Amino acid sequence: MTISPTSASMADRIASLKGTAKRIRTQIIEMIFKAQSGHPGGSLSATDILAVLYFDQMRVDPRKPDWSDRDRFVLSKGHACPVWYATLALRGYFPLEELGTLRQLGSKLQGHPVKSKCPGVDATTGSLGVGFAQAVGLALDARLSGKDYKVYAVLGDGEIQEGIVWEAANTAARHGLDNLIIVIDQNGLQNDGFCRDIMAVGDTEQKFRAFGWQTARINGHRVEEILPALELARASKGRPYCIVAETIKGKGVSFMENIRGWHGKAPSAEQRNQAIKEIQETL
Amino acid sequence: MTITKATKPTRQSFSERMVEFGAIDPDFAVFESDIGYSTFTYLFGEKYPARYFNLGIAEIGTMAAAAGMANNGRTAIVSGYGVFLTMRALEVVRSFICYPNLNVKILSSHGGLTAAIDGTTHQATEDIAFMTTLPNMKVFCPCDERSTRAVFDLAMGTPGPVFTRLMRDSYFDLYDAQAAFRLGGSHVLREGRDITIVTYGDIVFQALEAADLLAKDGISAEVIDMYSIKPFDQAGLLQSLAKTGALLVAENHQARNGLGYELGVFCLKHRPVAFDHLGLEDKFGESGKYELVLDKYGLSARRIAERAKAVCQKRQPA
Repeated sequence: MTISPTSASMADRIASLKGTAKRIRTQIIEMIFKAQSGHPGGSLSATDILAVLYFDQMRVDPRKPDWSDRDRFVLSKGHACPVWYATLALRGYFPLEELGTLRQLGSKLQGHPVKSKCPGVDATTGSLGVGFAQAVGLALDARLSGKDYKVYAVLGDGEIQEGIVWEAANTAARHGLDNLIIVIDQNGLQNDGFCRDIMAVGDTEQKFRAFGWQTARINGHRVEEILPALELARASKGRPYCIVAETIKGKGVSFMENIRGWHGKAPSAEQRNQAIKEIQETL
Repeated sequence: MTITKATKPTRQSFSERMVEFGAIDPDFAVFESDIGYSTFTYLFGEKYPARYFNLGIAEIGTMAAAAGMANNGRTAIVSGYGVFLTMRALEVVRSFICYPNLNVKILSSHGGLTAAIDGTTHQATEDIAFMTTLPNMKVFCPCDERSTRAVFDLAMGTPGPVFTRLMRDSYFDLYDAQAAFRLGGSHVLREGRDITIVTYGDIVFQALEAADLLAKDGISAEVIDMYSIKPFDQAGLLQSLAKTGALLVAENHQARNGLGYELGVFCLKHRPVAFDHLGLEDKFGESGKYELVLDKYGLSARRIAERAKAVCQKRQPA
């Protein structure tokens, strides 16, 4: 399911989103370097997904972060908040300079995202699995209040080991929540190692399908695949939608890619320079 | 007693002792929920892979599996962050570990605001309240490498469930090899006449610094490390209060339902004294550098000294 950029406008959209993803990645490295704390690996794997969501798909207005008809977004893998903060800042929710306050006293940008502190954050997360369950609650609330907005959530593939994920998956299917779209950032790694070694969950897509969801599987770094998959999910009716996005943890920085140790570690000055150079030149 | 900069956090010391203990006791098993490289239980997993169970990101299931194994008589250590172990898995700890009084030992890292920079979702600031409230549970919080290693042995040697609160970052070391530790014990780290400051964990070091500040103002503070929180050293506390007649409890925890509440009630029953306690005042923490967060929430040496002075002023003349 790949879009061939036949029309100029589609080619422009894709090119523009790729440029945005590059800028998000650069900010992720800069902010974690400055804080000397944070989670780069899972931020870089989710970057292209968030770029397409916030800069193409989602109905949001950064000047009105509390607009009641906005699409909601929940970063259920809350530790990857640098990607969310960078995306929100670039989208105009708050000044880029504030990214330099990550994890510092008094900052909007808490170590894990907090709804009451940061504009654009629709649910507090940081305890895995709980964000997804909150997203289901948001989608139920949209139903209840007759709103047509969509609820998006991004989960990690390690995260779906949590039991609460499957309770929430049942609830969403039982209520036919076609206003709920989740993307699983399947980078194959969790804190202690490869997911397949720590606690393999089997075929994620098949599991969600068995739970009553509509599903798709894409390359989570190819905007040409992410965009149509999200468009299809948005138009889909009757059931909640799960997109399994195959990704690479640390994507874009060679020495971070697929390395367990970059789950929650800040780069040195030298590593930062190298990372920025690679992001600018190679992606 | 000399205070030196610590080379490792207590979570690491606990797991290092666990590895050594693996040779002493060939039976116990260790359960982890995918933060073994953070809690350092991976060291045990490397040496004893058959006795190491990393059950993935699934804290409730991990705690229940450990309980299941402990039902068979085997001692199980469950490792993780305090917020997940004491809250997400609380019902399992209560009904299926404490109630049947099983030999489950909980290694709980990121206690209090020692996880300052990670933010509130990772700061266990209610763990002491939850754990001390459970019948059969024993609770420790060591402050440095030696006491942590000793507490590991105490946990293994004490029948039934034991909870040990550990710290994210490394601060200081103060105990030497001769220091002895026991269930229900405490250590007077500094003797004084005017006020007793009781504390545990990382705040021990803030309290000692506070005592230095108080000395400059002519106030002689006694500092007690209450490393055994449940049971606590009643005789030791009464002995100190007989001398000072004033008590300040400072803890990296909610002020409500922590050790301060426990000792406040104890004093009301047994020896009313001038009293106050420091902790989070019905507030959550936030992200930031540890020292700045401690100061903001009233637990730095400066803030402890200020409060101790106020308690001394309330003290009845002897």
